Amino acid sequence: MKNQEKILQVKDLYITFNTFSGKVHAVRGVNFDLYKGETLAIVGESGSGKSVTTKTIMGILAKNANKESGQILYKDDDLMKYTEKNYNMIRGTEISMIFQDPMSSLDPVMKIGKQITETLRLKYGVSKQEAKEKAIGLMKAVGIPEAEKRYNQYPFQFSGGMRQRIVIAIALACDPEILICDEPTTALDVTIQAQILELIKDMQKNRDLSVIFITHDLGVVANVADRIAVMYAGKIVEYGTTDEIFYNPKHPYTWSLLASMPDMDTDDKDELFAIAGAPPNMVHPPKGDAFAARNKYAMRIDFEKQPPMYKVSDTHYAATWLLHPDAPKVEMPKILKKRIERQKRRAGEK
Amino acid sequence: MLRYIVQRLIAMAITFFIIISISFFILRLMPGSFADDPTLPREVVEQLEDKYHLNEPLIIQYGYFLKDAVKLDFGVSLKVEPKRTVGEILASKIPITMQLNLFAMLFMIPIGIILGIIAAIRKNRISDHLISVVVVLFISVPSFVFASGLQYIVAFKWNLLPTVLSKEQVLNWARFKSMILPILALSFSGIATITRYVRSELCEALNSEYMLLAKSKGLTQLQATIRHAMRNSFVPLANIIIPIFTSILFGSLVIEKIFAIPGMGGVLINAINAKDHTLTIGLLCFYSVISLMTVLIVDLSYGIIDPRIRIGGRK
Repeated sequence: MKNQEKILQVKDLYITFNTFSGKVHAVRGVNFDLYKGETLAIVGESGSGKSVTTKTIMGILAKNANKESGQILYKDDDLMKYTEKNYNMIRGTEISMIFQDPMSSLDPVMKIGKQITETLRLKYGVSKQEAKEKAIGLMKAVGIPEAEKRYNQYPFQFSGGMRQRIVIAIALACDPEILICDEPTTALDVTIQAQILELIKDMQKNRDLSVIFITHDLGVVANVADRIAVMYAGKIVEYGTTDEIFYNPKHPYTWSLLASMPDMDTDDKDELFAIAGAPPNMVHPPKGDAFAARNKYAMRIDFEKQPPMYKVSDTHYAATWLLHPDAPKVEMPKILKKRIERQKRRAGEK
Repeated sequence: MLRYIVQRLIAMAITFFIIISISFFILRLMPGSFADDPTLPREVVEQLEDKYHLNEPLIIQYGYFLKDAVKLDFGVSLKVEPKRTVGEILASKIPITMQLNLFAMLFMIPIGIILGIIAAIRKNRISDHLISVVVVLFISVPSFVFASGLQYIVAFKWNLLPTVLSKEQVLNWARFKSMILPILALSFSGIATITRYVRSELCEALNSEYMLLAKSKGLTQLQATIRHAMRNSFVPLANIIIPIFTSILFGSLVIEKIFAIPGMGGVLINAINAKDHTLTIGLLCFYSVISLMTVLIVDLSYGIIDPRIRIGGRK
């Protein structure tokens, strides 16, 4: 992992939004790297800033957004300095994105085929015939049966899962290097979710894509991600490889997230863990650790000063004062510990 | 589809029958008669009433009326243009009114759409606010106020355009020039309606997810707006333009009076005032047919314009 080429570097990204109730600090200094060919999952609850981060990378932020500071380095260019015109050169061809709801992300009155070939035709001036051949190839690749017939159909003639496949085909039409998936399975049935995840994995392997995968569903992440970044209140609070996050989480927020997720051994007698309270109001972000108010392990310093990133291993970092050498030794919650042991045992059996 | 149209046509025929029946009875229930001139000798009045079956019971008169109405024969005008058949009068008046209304449509649709697009793209900026003010003004001020205002300022004070419609029979420059003011007065409310509609539809489309996808797949804002947002916001637009046609048809009732246009409007008002029942019913029938047709065309047009209904409906 260490020797791999960094394809995208996000440095100290800070984004605010002007709203009627004040300035919302949506993303407060996010740092991460994306390596070539890997899948990085960004996990967090609603409003944690994960979508805003990726929309900034795509340059499709809403008009009331302010890019306060930070850098997004892609191929030696800083995307934060890009104008709309520069962005048009890389959108679709270098970085592409798929969205949460396939029901609304396709143009309802335009034929599927035209929507897939649009960029090819407009950007590269590819002939109609050639574009059609490419589109049908793509449709077959993303698992659409009878692609020739489907080419001339409208979005309403497709099911939700099929539409998400079309959206993926559209995103991949110009062979991008990076694919950003913004909760691509949230609006789908569970059975379809698995198929779409499988498809994204296949596409990534076949095309050597680098994928940023946004989700609030840890179960989804476990299957697809190489590395995971956990976001809370506009900051990345912990990141590491998937194994590290699932088997050796360090941040209390990650603990709570994992503990609140049911697993195979959860039965109706167990009560799932619920994180008390609500995320902070980002108009007035808290001075210290944003999670302190909901954190039963919080110390006084958590309310006063933001924790730095502590190194756990070469690939694993967490921002919590609990990792400070002087902090009391705190164990993760018991139910989580038990569960991790069970899972490790099971993984070992395999 | 054919079955649907037939169903709709039958429903329309029933509606039409109810409309003309109600019109018939309301008109006959009005006191007085077209022949109420006190200087007329008694025998002449009786002869006239006899001739038009006006001395018979209302229900029998209704029978006569229905029998002829089925053949689209509304008889002759009693007083406004005596002895000319209602059909003839309609045939001579409809083109004048229609010509004016069509020009008004041709003027208002592009202007309304352009203003709407500007307002949507520059949402919450000065140009949008200015357009909103104009829209509110155009919607809330009745067309006859604009008509009189234009007449006073443009025609009388500035002497730029004629005050009333020219008497030219053919459509030449002089006649067109005299039509400009009535066209303007007729178009304002339509422009406002279209602008408001385009603005809200386009704003919604611009904020939609498919615009995000269109942009993130590499289209420029302009390309995405034209190819996706506008396309989507125009689908429902087609269905408000047709009813606007009906509304300007009714709006022109008053405008025609102001600009001395010898169209349907003046005739209808004269006919009602003169208790010329045959002519009034004939004109009302025309307006009802137009309104009913509009509703039908709107319903059918959904199926033609919107692929979701056009193709989805075939299953």
